[in-house]
Amino acid sequence: MIFRSAVCEALGAPALAMATTFLAFGAAVQAAGIGLGWALAAAQLVYGMPGQMVLLAALGAPGGPLPAVLGAVAANARFLPMAVALAPWLGGRGAARFLALPFIAVTPWAMAMRRLPQMPVPERLTWFLGFALTSWTVAGLSTWLGFVIAPMLQGWVLAALLFVNPLYFGVILAGETRFAPARRAVLCGMAATPLVLLLPASWALLGAGLVGGTAAFLWSLRVEQR
Amino acid sequence: MSNAELALLLLILGCAAMRGAGLLVAGRLRTDHPFVRWAAAVSLATLTAFVLAAVVAPGGILAEIPLAARGAGLTASVSILFWRGGLALPVLGGLAVTLALAALFNA
Repeated sequence: MIFRSAVCEALGAPALAMATTFLAFGAAVQAAGIGLGWALAAAQLVYGMPGQMVLLAALGAPGGPLPAVLGAVAANARFLPMAVALAPWLGGRGAARFLALPFIAVTPWAMAMRRLPQMPVPERLTWFLGFALTSWTVAGLSTWLGFVIAPMLQGWVLAALLFVNPLYFGVILAGETRFAPARRAVLCGMAATPLVLLLPASWALLGAGLVGGTAAFLWSLRVEQR
Repeated sequence: MSNAELALLLLILGCAAMRGAGLLVAGRLRTDHPFVRWAAAVSLATLTAFVLAAVVAPGGILAEIPLAARGAGLTASVSILFWRGGLALPVLGGLAVTLALAALFNA
């Protein structure tokens, strides 16, 4: 019952947002000349769109896979604090909570942090798995569809579809600016963005993220010490 | 194994390690631990740089959308978010503005 309720909840607005963004990712992989297997593996096993997009963008740059991977890991570094924050709400001790491991991503995490605290402890993990499995399935199907339809889309229509990802993350970032530390990270990230144009392409996003993120962290420490 | 496949494999392992470490240390490492806060800040800053670079100076096929359409699309998305909230509506609204302006400029 609780599983079915979570599936229904996931099939609303979250599924629409997930479908659009993973459709765009599938189309972006196709446009980059990489295979469907790679697209599906990225969508289902990385399951973190920021890192997926950063990796895809950095693969075209010279410098080998290492800087591309480091930049993508940095973009998905939020998995660590997200998992730390989510774990106490999942209920289930020991191994059971690790069932949630592959599904910790922005959309399921944000919804879970909103819903789980109001739910009886024994129902929490089941709810999370129902919601997350549905979102994960939508992500895979949308990636496949985006990859297949990309060649049928022409010029600026395909470009507009690819623009869904920056829009999606722009909205997520704007939503997070309600909280002061996140607001500082976004502001410092904006200030560090010119580094993307100045640094070697393969290190550009990682460099801007490290400089901006570290500056934001130090800014927050300074504010708290006052 | 190609560079793209190797990079993907490393990213998959890296993401699983971060999720696993988070679940493992939960309860031992508080969410306000300096390392966790630094990682969260770097993550947000990297994502911000990705979004802003995609709007201001994109590479590849994204550059086919005029700068004004990209900027207006993002502005519309954020405006709808602060006006109505939600996730899907702001994204679709921004996409609609981007498409309309791109069509206008490409007509």
